[in-house]
Amino acid sequence: MLEDQDMSVQEAAAVMQDARTRARKELVVATPLVYTAWGLVWLIGYGAMWLSVRGQHPYTGPSGISIAAVFVLAGFAVAAVLVIASKAAAGIDGQSVRHRRIIGSTWATGYLILLIVAPAISNSASTRTLAFISFAGPVVLVGLTYILAAALGRYRPPFALGAWLVIAGTSCAWLGPAIILATCALAGGGAFLLMAAIETRLRAHDR
Amino acid sequence: MTGENELDPVIHAPARLRVVVTLATLRDGDNLSFTRLQELLELTPGNLITHLRKLENAGYVTTVKSGRGVTSRTSVSLSPQGRKAFDNYTAVLRQLLDSASTNGTSPH
Repeated sequence: MLEDQDMSVQEAAAVMQDARTRARKELVVATPLVYTAWGLVWLIGYGAMWLSVRGQHPYTGPSGISIAAVFVLAGFAVAAVLVIASKAAAGIDGQSVRHRRIIGSTWATGYLILLIVAPAISNSASTRTLAFISFAGPVVLVGLTYILAAALGRYRPPFALGAWLVIAGTSCAWLGPAIILATCALAGGGAFLLMAAIETRLRAHDR
Repeated sequence: MTGENELDPVIHAPARLRVVVTLATLRDGDNLSFTRLQELLELTPGNLITHLRKLENAGYVTTVKSGRGVTSRTSVSLSPQGRKAFDNYTAVLRQLLDSASTNGTSPH
């Protein structure tokens, strides 16, 4: 390419559009894909657990198959998100990298606490308390993580998602185990899928 | 920077425009490695250095070298002045395109 090649206004607009499309494709995390992955995991995972406890009298908990399905689905989602994020982050350094570390470590610490607390109180806590911590706990945690991400990145859509997840998760404190699972599947998974649609629209509008 | 209604000549060159657009995609406080920028723009190292130097001389771009040997990294980022110049360039370009479509002419 010539160093100072003359170009018309139309050519400049075309160059700008082309460069912007390429840069966004390569350097910006494809959040609609991330939201879709987690939306499907929550909708199918929590949904499968809900179906397995529906009609249980007395409540004995989700079936082993449905719990295994959640872990397999979550594993695929984590792998997909890592691939998407690392592709977009290649060559980038600075504030957003530090923010990602803060967000990632907050989320991981929260999950670790839930994984330690749930088994520790399993003998003394009521079924309802245990169901709230085990099923709604991750929803509240992810909600708080999205609020943190929105605050650090000064971007509103994740804040709305985070706030909704915190409200939906907290409201589970008044519900029974089966309804908690249904709420997490529909209000949690559904919110992620809705966010995927909103982000896709926002990005198309931004072009 | 140039006048309100003129396209900034420092940015108004295909390669430099692509450099600025690419760097403007990054969030504030972020930088991009020289290697990744080169890969994205498909420019030779020499060519990219020439364009970066022009942008750096205008105060639009900041380059920082860190590390030594195989771990060395050159980071490139758009300065606040560069972001402002790019916003102005975009606004002027939009105005010119609008007036061209109104008048049915093809401005240079």
